[in-house]
Amino acid sequence: MKKLTEEQRRKALEVFENFSDSKLLTHLNSCVHCGLCAESCMYYQVYKDAHYVPAKKVDMVSSIYRRYHTLSGKLVPWLTGARDLDEEALEEMIDLFYGSCTICSRCTMHCSIGVDIGYLVRIGRAMLAGMGFVPATLQSTVDAAINTGNNMAIPEQDLIDTLKWLEEELQFEVNDEKAGIPLNVPGKDIMYTLNPREPMFFPLSIAAMAKIFYAAGESWTLSTRMYDVTNYGYFSGNIQEATAIAQRLYDEMEHIQARRCVLAECGHGIRAFRWEAPNYLGKPFPFEVITSVELLAEYIRQGRIKVDPARIPEKVTLHDPCNLVRSGGVIEMQRYILRKSVSDFVEMTPHGADNYCCGGGGGQLSMSEYNERRMKITGLKADQIKNTGAAIVCTPCHNCVDQLIQTNAVYKLGVKIMTLAEIVADALILE
Amino acid sequence: MPTIEIEGRVFEVDGDGFLSQPESWDHEVAEMIARYDGIDPMSEKHWAIVNIIRRNYEEKGMAPMIRTICQETGLRLREIYELFPLGPARGACRVAGLPKPDGCV
Repeated sequence: MKKLTEEQRRKALEVFENFSDSKLLTHLNSCVHCGLCAESCMYYQVYKDAHYVPAKKVDMVSSIYRRYHTLSGKLVPWLTGARDLDEEALEEMIDLFYGSCTICSRCTMHCSIGVDIGYLVRIGRAMLAGMGFVPATLQSTVDAAINTGNNMAIPEQDLIDTLKWLEEELQFEVNDEKAGIPLNVPGKDIMYTLNPREPMFFPLSIAAMAKIFYAAGESWTLSTRMYDVTNYGYFSGNIQEATAIAQRLYDEMEHIQARRCVLAECGHGIRAFRWEAPNYLGKPFPFEVITSVELLAEYIRQGRIKVDPARIPEKVTLHDPCNLVRSGGVIEMQRYILRKSVSDFVEMTPHGADNYCCGGGGGQLSMSEYNERRMKITGLKADQIKNTGAAIVCTPCHNCVDQLIQTNAVYKLGVKIMTLAEIVADALILE
Repeated sequence: MPTIEIEGRVFEVDGDGFLSQPESWDHEVAEMIARYDGIDPMSEKHWAIVNIIRRNYEEKGMAPMIRTICQETGLRLREIYELFPLGPARGACRVAGLPKPDGCV
């Protein structure tokens, strides 16, 4: 069993001081134990074990809060369900907050009184991060980002070589040597970002976006110094590290003097920068921050690009990344894009804000410790996909793409997984 | 530490099935992991990819960029994804005995 020092306990409890706003107190004290959240949770649906009921996660945080921050909890903890933050509680917290939650927040949507359970799980993770109990595999991705500027530790020259290679391919494909991937050019309308897994292993999505930018005649650039859209500090719960990562992208936007920051297809990265970063940094953005999903919809709506749905005759379904859709509110635009770009678009059930997580959210994909559970809960997603009869699954999130590649192989779905930019690029009519 | 047993040999692995001791890797291990993933037998193309990944790891401590793999093997990107359905990281790097790469993979 892990040992807990007094200093570590103090660090964990500090989280309650740092977040001592009305939101935390309200959500900690509101659960009525109705149990409606149980069936909303993939873990509970698959395991049918009370351990996975989301309300238990709420109770874990609130019982510790009561023990140290309320009079009755301090004096008569056994009467109020208050709980010591001891080694036993610690083990349970690690398993609940890191090991059995993708922070998909579907439970939050289904909660009868609107408790933000996903937020409380992040508070639980912040307590664990304060004590130094972030799972090693998750922390190593945060460390790579902090130490090297991107979460896969790609050397800058390797990135540049890859982008030059993609640029040559693009020029060949569109038969125009003016087509390009402009690097580090100040004063453009758009600074585009990447998930490091794109240049490292899956560059088709970069090629797709570059082709779309070319077709739209966009004024854009990529920074080779700071382009990483991800923020694993958001997953680990270490707010200082999350802030440091967000600060770098903010600084690069100011440095490169672009008008709009366009976030690549990365659910948590979008959430961490667009919605959380202004809180981390304590200031609003002086520039515009949008997702590439919104940009693609804008291009099609304004006629800046033309797409031909006949080019994609296969049946296509859409997986909704939790952070972009349920938590980020970008719900209809990807559907608008697909209806324009493919011949046969079919929704999965449930879909939109009520869709299930891919199973790899919340940093699960990087935490090898919990691989078995991750691959088991994704069975729900496999069933959803199978029931649509689709040949292509589109999802605007690289993390979801990777999880779905595994789901596809393990559950033998025989589908193709594509990002939204890849779909649009395939349907694109170049004039 | 979890272990996997493939064809009578037992290996220490992480939760995702990547070898915990990359030095315990040899060609036979590669073939066993590949078979476990449904790749049987490994073709010349599979070996070309795995050898480049392994060499890069031994020289630089990390997987090579996919560009390097494409340019050195002459294979197209899509062909690499077809050869390793789990992708370059969970598929090819795992067969090459590397630890799991960081990030969204």
